[in-house]
Amino acid sequence: MIARRLPAAILAATALIAPLRAQAPPPDITRERAAFAEWLSEAPNSPLAAVAQQPIGPGITLGPPGADVPLAGVVEHRVSERGGAVSLHGPDGGRVLPAGRPVALGSFTVMSGGVPGRRVLTVFGPDRREKAAEYYDHDPTLVFVGPLSPPGQPGRVRLLALDGIETEALEAGTVTVPIDGRAVRLHVRRIPTGMEDESELEIFFRDDTNGAGTYPAGRFVSLVPAGDGRYRLDFNRARNPFCAYSSAFACPAPWRGNAIGAKVEAGERYSGGGLSVPPGAGEER
Amino acid sequence: MRTAAALLALVLALPDGRNASPEGEWRAALDIAGGELRFGVRIDRRGSEWRGELCNGSRCQTFSAVRPAGDSVVLEMADYAATITARLAGDSLSGAYRNVGNRGPRVIPFRASRGRWPASRGPERLLGRWDAMWIGDFGTSPRVIELRNGEAGLEGTIISNTGDYGHFAGGVRGDSFALAHFDGSYVYMLTGALGGGGGTPDTLRGIFHAGLRTQTPWIAVRSSGAAHLKAVTENTRADTAQPFRFSFPDLDGRVVTERDPRFRGKVVVVDVFGTWCPTCHDAAPELVRLHRKYHERGLEIVGLAYEVSGDTAVDRRQVRRYREKFGIPFTLLLAGVNDTEAAAATLPQLQGFTSFPTTIFLGRDGKVRRIHAGFYGPATGAQHAKQVRDWEREVEGLLREESRDTGGSG
Repeated sequence: MIARRLPAAILAATALIAPLRAQAPPPDITRERAAFAEWLSEAPNSPLAAVAQQPIGPGITLGPPGADVPLAGVVEHRVSERGGAVSLHGPDGGRVLPAGRPVALGSFTVMSGGVPGRRVLTVFGPDRREKAAEYYDHDPTLVFVGPLSPPGQPGRVRLLALDGIETEALEAGTVTVPIDGRAVRLHVRRIPTGMEDESELEIFFRDDTNGAGTYPAGRFVSLVPAGDGRYRLDFNRARNPFCAYSSAFACPAPWRGNAIGAKVEAGERYSGGGLSVPPGAGEER
Repeated sequence: MRTAAALLALVLALPDGRNASPEGEWRAALDIAGGELRFGVRIDRRGSEWRGELCNGSRCQTFSAVRPAGDSVVLEMADYAATITARLAGDSLSGAYRNVGNRGPRVIPFRASRGRWPASRGPERLLGRWDAMWIGDFGTSPRVIELRNGEAGLEGTIISNTGDYGHFAGGVRGDSFALAHFDGSYVYMLTGALGGGGGTPDTLRGIFHAGLRTQTPWIAVRSSGAAHLKAVTENTRADTAQPFRFSFPDLDGRVVTERDPRFRGKVVVVDVFGTWCPTCHDAAPELVRLHRKYHERGLEIVGLAYEVSGDTAVDRRQVRRYREKFGIPFTLLLAGVNDTEAAAATLPQLQGFTSFPTTIFLGRDGKVRRIHAGFYGPATGAQHAKQVRDWEREVEGLLREESRDTGGSG
């Protein structure tokens, strides 16, 4: 089982202080959140500006009202994939859309992503929704460091990443953490980031705050290497999938076995209300 | 007394940073999960003009802009839509490297102190060519690691089946080393040790770090000389029966085609590139060299830029900057903004064109003789040298061919 990160003495002190005063997050989390807030409000590929996300398949059209993705003021363009390379063709010729790089199309922005053979196009508009990420107070008791146990059944799995894009992940194993006095085992998968050679160990989990304080579909949290073959799991860094920011994104199916039967009141919140998803419903089979 | 007072004033002024300047040499580092990824930064000022360089060992590249602002400095890498923003406090800089990510910003803590990373040379037993296996979660994949001593100490490169990871530089301690490659887009660090983890003295083991926290263990043995990697993809699926056709505007908006007099009866090398592509930056100086060496004898080179902004003015500015950076004397065309009424596909004669850069060799008759995907950068040492020799041989062979159609109707 993953041990609590803080020595017992500090933990006791925190427990005494916690009811009196909300914990300020450590500076690194504050910085991460500030960078994310800036990205949400400024990046051309912010999920708050997303208008559509679609597999490219045999090709899709953008522009006029009859197109696969109607875009006001854009003449007809066609996006196609050949051997993993995505290109955009319009009356002005063609151009390559390198994966993960936003490219302007009129007042819109397009970006390709996903794996070769199954590329996905995301379209962002000139306007963006006003929405800020919200977080629970910092909870230092929901930070754990420990080993990653190898997967019972190794293999690859197709899933939707945080950004709604289908990708091929690897079963990376499990971690076990104490929550509410119970040992909870969570499945971890290695998900490519879209940058060459880069990937993250991710956990997509559900807990009893879903639909009542947090996003109904569940949240992602990363497992971060902490040296000596150990990893840090910090629920204060739990994040909403992009479908929480825009319905342009599909929501990932919950991962089987990753429902925590307790409230994890840390990390990103969601004030959009619940969808009354009964616990355990809709899990992948 | 007056001197003492002046000194005191100076000392008092330093901590608040008002008199401090970002000028000078910096030992810079990105704090990634697996440790400290080291590189050099140099910032100069000439009059009101600021400039700067980012260095991996002795290999440096220029920042597209250096903007001091109050007690901070912003170092821009426009090619990769990336910046380093750092606050200057006395003799240290701290801040972050960031570029636009897809699931949130890609932010990595940055810090620097004044000076230069000490050069440390690798012992003979570390140097040379190593056949490595990257140990993934499921299965392994081959790489070649080359280690050598350069002017800034131990340096090297990593080669995969599809190309190289650029120039790595770093430090050695006993039989352990840490080499880094940071170019504004790729964030790589290779750590390793001889005989680590109970291996034999002829075994290297280590971790390959990519980005903020991806870590891949690897193991390597001395190269036996047998081929460890698969050959780089040679894309031969091109229409070789007809002359290779293209038609794109140059940087002044004039449309240039393969029938232009400058290409008539010449051997032509077509470089399909993008200013956003690090490997293309590696290939550019070699193409400039090739042009210098063979232009008189009948070689022409044309670069076809595939840019990403979608704004012709921005793309043009970007490609101009690229031309200046490498002193490119040959024609560059904006293939991504084709204003002609030509075919919808920009290069219909190429099938399955997936690699940047792609280099196409045309004979004097304008027909495709060879297509090369990717480019082994100078950091690959022997691989680079071999590729340069191959390209020269190819060009020399094509130059020797009789020009039967000098009048060229195309």
